[in-house]
Amino acid sequence: MNVATMKSRQVHPPRFSAGAMAGRVGAGPIGLLIGAILWELIGRVAEMPFFPPLSAVLVRLGELTADGLIIGNLFNSLGNLVIGFAISAVVGVLIGMLMGAYRKVEMALDFYVFALLTAPSLVFAPLFFSIFGAGNPRASIVGVIILYTIFIVIVNTTAAIRSVPKPLIEMGRSYCANDRQLFTKIILPSAMPLIMAGLRLGMGRAVKGMINGEMFIAIVGLGKVVSSAGDRFDAEGVLAVLLVIVCVALVAVKIVQVVDSRLTGWLPSTSRQRRRNA
Amino acid sequence: MIEVDRLSKTFPGRTGDGAVEALKDVSLTIRDGEFLTVLGPSGCGKTTLLRIMAGLESHDSGEIRVDGKAITGPGPDRAMVFQSFALLPWATIIANVAFGLELRGVAKSEREARAEQLIKLVGLSGFEKKLPGQLSGGMQQRVGLARALAVDPKILLMDEPFGALDEQTRRLLQEELLAIWEQSRKTVLFITHSMEEAVLLGDRVVLMSPRPGRIVDIVEVPLARPRASAVDDMSGSAEFAAITADLWRRLRAMQQSGQRADAPVPVGASA
Repeated sequence: MNVATMKSRQVHPPRFSAGAMAGRVGAGPIGLLIGAILWELIGRVAEMPFFPPLSAVLVRLGELTADGLIIGNLFNSLGNLVIGFAISAVVGVLIGMLMGAYRKVEMALDFYVFALLTAPSLVFAPLFFSIFGAGNPRASIVGVIILYTIFIVIVNTTAAIRSVPKPLIEMGRSYCANDRQLFTKIILPSAMPLIMAGLRLGMGRAVKGMINGEMFIAIVGLGKVVSSAGDRFDAEGVLAVLLVIVCVALVAVKIVQVVDSRLTGWLPSTSRQRRRNA
Repeated sequence: MIEVDRLSKTFPGRTGDGAVEALKDVSLTIRDGEFLTVLGPSGCGKTTLLRIMAGLESHDSGEIRVDGKAITGPGPDRAMVFQSFALLPWATIIANVAFGLELRGVAKSEREARAEQLIKLVGLSGFEKKLPGQLSGGMQQRVGLARALAVDPKILLMDEPFGALDEQTRRLLQEELLAIWEQSRKTVLFITHSMEEAVLLGDRVVLMSPRPGRIVDIVEVPLARPRASAVDDMSGSAEFAAITADLWRRLRAMQQSGQRADAPVPVGASA
């Protein structure tokens, strides 16, 4: 580093250096930009049918949107995602709390939860499909999303309730808190960071479940668009829908993050950062 | 007045034969407005005694009466200060101090006004909106003390409250606690493992011994009150030194017999 930049750093940060740009714009967008440029260049140089350049994918995305294949199916998929995630969140947090609070409930359910957490959830898709039938693909897909999502929510919520420091509960009791107050004023806020971490992981898995379910059942949603594009060897089409899906996933996780930081803003910033990057 | 009447408590061991007699036939009378310190090696049941008084632990036989009424659980007449501070990490200092009042359903404006007074009393004005994690250990325990005083209890139960603090912070907090107590004259039961602390603060020192946990002696501390402004002179006085030295002799004897009981030391090494 030369004297001039050192001096300017003391007075005010240099305006046009790469470091300052990264500081102002954020390393994330710059990383995205570099990725996009690399994709475009490699796609053009390689000239492989299954690695089209970004521009070709975006053109195809425009065509698909114009054909009305994206918007309608996107909302269809989002509907499945919202329903599946909402059920998983509510039921999962509830079961997790019971397992965290009562040793017996945990002993009774522990095995199932861990078995299904590690089992590939997609194997249940044909099961749902035969139960709900071709007439009601949405129920099957929602079922798949729930299987993808709920167990990670349960496991995290159980751990969250367990992790509430015992001295805090004793403090509450010694100040005459009743059971409801103990729960709402001590246990719930104390468990919130880990519960939210579970919901964030759950959201990522829910998006995965949505696409996998839709691709498998292949009647509705973005999954159908992907699999029919794949059948036509339409690489641009597959990647175009993939871009949409990635955007959906990012937005969905971002929403959970915003809710999270509202609820757990008290966490020290270092552990926040660590959790966010995890 | 607090009467501890032949109180016994045994913790069952894991395997059944490892049962620990934490308290055996402990009897004690604490006068209103008295500052009583309880001193003893770890395992002597001093914390168990305090926890039973707080209503956090059950007991097997005997009872504790506060003004003639046997205690069966936590009550508004008692407030506890914890060794680990036990502050709500998500709540501001003022909300932490007001927490006991919040649990009692006191309106927000009223409880915050009360909390404000106590924050001032413990010297934390200006920190109302901070979170506990932003405060030093000594400041956190001031919050713990303010929270206990906010509910205006008759009895303060303090479980090694300064045990996690460094020597200098501890001395400052001891002086401040004395000053606060000399004004409010609440009944204080103060658990400690430091004989200096026990003598410095207490009207009487209850000396306890382990296996089974019992009271071996109650030592009157003749040092003059008020002590808050005279801590430095007092802690250098011959009287103070004599009492602490005597307590240490007896504690050391307990520690050594305890060592022999726990794990036999080589013959040559035993004192």
